[in-house]
Amino acid sequence: MKNNNSRKNFLSFLANNSVPILFILICVVCIPVSGFSPSYLINEIVTRMGRNIFLILCLLIPIMAGMGLNFGMTLGAMAAELALILVSDWQIWGIPGVVLAMILSIPFSILLGMLCGKILNMAKGREMITSYIISFFMNGIYQLIVLYMMGPIIPIKHSNVKLPRGYGIRNSVDLIHMRQCLDNLLAVRVGGVKIPVLTFLLIGLLCLFIIWFRKTKLGQDMRAVGQDMDVARDAGINVERTRIISIVMSTVLAGFGMVIYLQNMGNIATYSSHSQIGMFCIAALLVGGASVDRASIGNVFLGVVLFHTMFIVAPKAGAMITGDSMIGEYFRVFVSYAVITIALIMYETKKRKVKSQAGKQLQLEQEQEEAAANE
Amino acid sequence: MNETLDKTNMSVRDRLSAFAASFGLPRLIIAAFLLLLFIAAPFVGADFWTQISNTINRFSWNAVMVLAMVPMIHSGCGLNFGLPLGIISGLLGATLSIELGFTGPFSFVMAILIATPFALILGAGYGWLLNKIKGGEMMIATYVGFSSVSFMCMMWLLLPYKSPTMVWGLSGKGLRTTISLEGFYDKVLANILQINIGNLSIPTGTLLFFALLAFGMWAFLHSKTGTAMTAVGSNPTFAKAAGVNVDRSRLLSVILSTWLAAVGILVYEQGFGFVQLYMAPFYMALPAVSAILIGGATVNKATIPNVIIGTFLFQGIVTMTPTVMNSMIHMDMSEVIRVVVSQGMILYALTRKTEAAK
Amino acid sequence: MSNKRSLMIRICAVLALILIAACMMVIGRGHTVYLDNKTLEYGGQTYTAPYKVTVTVKGEQVAKLYAKERGSADNVGQRFEMTLKVMQEKNGDETTATYQVKLPYKMDGVVINLPGYFAGLPEEAWLSEFVSLIPEPSAEDGEVPSADEFEMDLGDEF
Repeated sequence: MKNNNSRKNFLSFLANNSVPILFILICVVCIPVSGFSPSYLINEIVTRMGRNIFLILCLLIPIMAGMGLNFGMTLGAMAAELALILVSDWQIWGIPGVVLAMILSIPFSILLGMLCGKILNMAKGREMITSYIISFFMNGIYQLIVLYMMGPIIPIKHSNVKLPRGYGIRNSVDLIHMRQCLDNLLAVRVGGVKIPVLTFLLIGLLCLFIIWFRKTKLGQDMRAVGQDMDVARDAGINVERTRIISIVMSTVLAGFGMVIYLQNMGNIATYSSHSQIGMFCIAALLVGGASVDRASIGNVFLGVVLFHTMFIVAPKAGAMITGDSMIGEYFRVFVSYAVITIALIMYETKKRKVKSQAGKQLQLEQEQEEAAANE
Repeated sequence: MNETLDKTNMSVRDRLSAFAASFGLPRLIIAAFLLLLFIAAPFVGADFWTQISNTINRFSWNAVMVLAMVPMIHSGCGLNFGLPLGIISGLLGATLSIELGFTGPFSFVMAILIATPFALILGAGYGWLLNKIKGGEMMIATYVGFSSVSFMCMMWLLLPYKSPTMVWGLSGKGLRTTISLEGFYDKVLANILQINIGNLSIPTGTLLFFALLAFGMWAFLHSKTGTAMTAVGSNPTFAKAAGVNVDRSRLLSVILSTWLAAVGILVYEQGFGFVQLYMAPFYMALPAVSAILIGGATVNKATIPNVIIGTFLFQGIVTMTPTVMNSMIHMDMSEVIRVVVSQGMILYALTRKTEAAK
Repeated sequence: MSNKRSLMIRICAVLALILIAACMMVIGRGHTVYLDNKTLEYGGQTYTAPYKVTVTVKGEQVAKLYAKERGSADNVGQRFEMTLKVMQEKNGDETTATYQVKLPYKMDGVVINLPGYFAGLPEEAWLSEFVSLIPEPSAEDGEVPSADEFEMDLGDEF
């Protein structure tokens, strides 16, 4: 009996964590095949952790509020890029530049986040597809600003930022004076692995903030809204406002995360840096075992390690196995999309199952009531 | 009696606003914008008839893919963001037809024939999946599309294609990113009964082909199965009570949509003259989705006129803005306008208070 | 009451952020300082360049300038401190001294003429803005981004 029970537990553990387990298997197969040295691999993973975790953490808040995966985090990334373009044109260097860019990104993020939240409130029940389309729409506006308004309307002085035609921003903006300044300050080397302590400290702070935030009144409200909007409304919570706040917070944090990401990269690909970032962050979170309605900080860390290990080794492993390096590159893109697809499918089927169970329960209760009334 | 009185009493302004409401404000703005572009075109030195021909040409390339939206909207599956899945069936048909050595117009027929079983199988799987996740179709459809495109990126490299017109010259394996259709079915439909008057040229064959499919769709929607499908879309509970198999209707609509997408990409290719592989189909769903929405469709309602008007408006803007804008203000803002108009339209439709049938 | 208080807190927070931002703009402003060891003519007088100047900024030797040479150093903030080891004539004695220069906020590149600076001339004599004589590299990254480079592109020919 007990044996049976533990076996059942084991099986449900497998079923609940199928995505991380699958990824561990992929990594276990690919790492030896790729032939990378462990120190190189660890170095890369630590760098990528510092670069990405902050961005991924910003996804947790909308999940808490029941708004699903926030594909609109791209908006925060755009805000950060606008801020960084301005800061690099103003020639503010080093840490002050990074801090200034973060502060400067806040108003943009809040504006975009409020807009996004308002629109999502009009599209309840299909938040994800809507936030996804918003990110596309906003990209159009972003291009309008960066490609046509920067120069004539928003003054841009330096020719290493501006296009030679006199308006618009170059395809890539060099952040040479900000490059890895956060990562290098307080950096520690442990056996050839550079650990960007300050970046990790910031990440730690954000984790503490999220843990604390969950316990505040607003955090509790958000969870209530995420559980059931109608119940929350009956309890006197302003549902619309709470949802907008959660999106605004997520967008602002995404803006900070993007500044950290870009100072590590050392340059901005003006027209493409932001477009894929949402997808990769969401994929990494899901690889860590999160689902559309439930995600923890642990999921974020596990997800970054697994997803980026796959990301590093896949092209080399693919080249070793098939003799074509492109295969590996396509493979990792495919895996990112497939993971998101599977997670979405699992979420929807679970939702339906719960719904039909609730329906059956209701039916049963009604029948019992009727039977009682008949007696 | 009273009603007719009311109607006659309605002032012109009321009527106009009622018309605007029924036509939809964004659509009105887009139509006015396009009209403005057409009026402005001759003033900035663009030839009017060339512009018209371009627009009609583009219309003929894209209309079938927009038509593919209709069945799924009717059955309540929402906008088919998973269009790339159908496109991939079409691409398989196109490449296999060339690989098997068919040439000329016959290769087009064979491409459709070969694409059909793929579309049926993939569509059936896709439809089965969408039946499992009723209510969350659109997001999952998007990602099914993305996954399948990125999966096929690997396959285009790995599948043992041999035809020298298609594989990379150096390595002799792996398909090229673009494959020229010259000698195969380049302009095969467009050349049928093509009308050329001065600068105006109309690809009659392609338009006729679209008309045929559109008529088929119209007839299907008015058949017994078609009306049942519409019933499923507008009120699934009622349809179920009336004895309609909801899941089967939805499955059928998805298969139909996928097949139309497959045919649609082949029609597009014959007009464009190239097969585009790898990441090309990635975002192809979005223009089709926004086109049908611009035409007046909503998330759960679409008609053939919606398809025609929408494709014309959308393609009109896409062709007209670069030329007109460029010569007017010497800035090529067409890209931005295209993105803002099409995505804005999708957003508008998604935020309408039309509860998707669940 | 509590509404008023939270409003106050918010205003304070915004002000604090603006203050920090302003500070960052001042202390983070980067300049490139170009040091010229060139003979200067000013007000009818000639100030000859010393034989060799060794420039040290923040404990790091950035340049060894013989007469007619130019060296550069990056500096964040408007206070530029340099330690100069001056050798007037070949194999002569070296004198070491530390100088502080206030850099104008608006200039990206600042040229300092050392002989003029040593002579204690007015600022306009030895400080000028750096103007690049090399035409901007326009071919390399200069082309206008075309539609293909947007990831967002909706397919090539739509």
